[in-house]
Amino acid sequence: MTFEPVGRSLSDFTVKLDVYSGPYEWLLALILEDELEIFEVPLRELVESYLLARRPDAANGLERDTDFAGSAAALILLKSRTLTPAADADAEAIEEDPLSPVKLAERLTEYLKIRRAAEHLRARFASNAGHYLSAHTIPQRQGSLSINPDRVALAARQAFSRLIEPPVRHLGPITVTLQELAGIIRTALARGPISYERLTGDMDRMNRAVAFAAALSLAQEGSLTLAQTEPLGPLTLEPSR
Amino acid sequence: MRDQERRPGPGPAHLLEAVLLVSASPLSPSDLRSATGLSGREMEEALAVLSGRYAPKTSGIVLREVAGGYLLSTNPACSDAVERFRREARPTPLSGAAHEVLACALYLGPLTRGAVSRVRGVNSDAVIRSLLERGLISEVGVDREAPGSPALLGVTDEFLAATGARSREDFPPAGSLVTHEELARVRERLAGSGTVQAHAESP
Repeated sequence: MTFEPVGRSLSDFTVKLDVYSGPYEWLLALILEDELEIFEVPLRELVESYLLARRPDAANGLERDTDFAGSAAALILLKSRTLTPAADADAEAIEEDPLSPVKLAERLTEYLKIRRAAEHLRARFASNAGHYLSAHTIPQRQGSLSINPDRVALAARQAFSRLIEPPVRHLGPITVTLQELAGIIRTALARGPISYERLTGDMDRMNRAVAFAAALSLAQEGSLTLAQTEPLGPLTLEPSR
Repeated sequence: MRDQERRPGPGPAHLLEAVLLVSASPLSPSDLRSATGLSGREMEEALAVLSGRYAPKTSGIVLREVAGGYLLSTNPACSDAVERFRREARPTPLSGAAHEVLACALYLGPLTRGAVSRVRGVNSDAVIRSLLERGLISEVGVDREAPGSPALLGVTDEFLAATGARSREDFPPAGSLVTHEELARVRERLAGSGTVQAHAESP
């Protein structure tokens, strides 16, 4: 959207609207620079302002009228394009079939209620305007967390409602437990230090893995010490002193 | 009164007054209780004292009960002086379109941008963007049933404070804002345009 240059014939025309007060040319500039939303500008009031300020007897009267008509027409076109649903709007917003009279009546009734509610809100905003709050700014509180119980419940439901279970078919049946292997290690350590290789020499792959986990667990609780002189070297389990 | 006498330091009303003074947003009763350590009864009595002290006719500061809490703000009667001091103009009034979008969010919300545009019959994206920037509406969730899970919009506590409302229930039901005569006129217009009649004649 572009405007034809307005020239300077309207340089002395000023407007006074709720959303803007000042030279008309600046208003156009603000709209073009997206500093002011076109939907906020009441075009009817704008035209009325011009008609009040119109000077048909001025030397450039016709030029002024022409410039204003041209720019006002562009504003109307811009506003109508802004307010019209976009061509690529979501499919649900596009209704191919015309509304039935009953539906149309329902929609009009609903819109009428919204219009009246909007007027009610305008009055409430106006009657509550002019309240200014404390200028004291409260610093952000560290660790202050607001939890909405409904959202927590929703998150929990989503977390625990997995539809796809993780695949477990590759896992065999449980044949040995950590506690059993820990018992075997404790028994072996009662006779003194023992190498991991010797301890697990006659175990299968699963038992050796669980034995290693059991040894780590016992080391963590302080029941034994793991000694390894070099990386990837022999591992020795020693009873704690 | 007995509680005030027992307390060696400042009284309940003083404590509430001090906490309210430094808050720029409404403080709920639980916020006030946890900050001051007052009991429910002490709170009620202190709030009654402050309501009298900060009434519009007696003070330049007023105590307001808005958005589920209590808030001290300047008396609108003094707004000209405050605006001169702060060297700022009163915020621009909202447009008619903005009021309609807020009414949609208040009475029909939470609802999507598309739903707002359908109710109003025109694209409302720009108005919604402006209201989001002003903090009067916010995205309060998503509509998982709709394609693309669009955001749901609802009014904020700032909106309640700006309209002087304690809660959403403070607004009259939308149905009560329209008279039977107005609804009858809508039906008459539809009938006059032939649409209702045509429908009535259809099998």
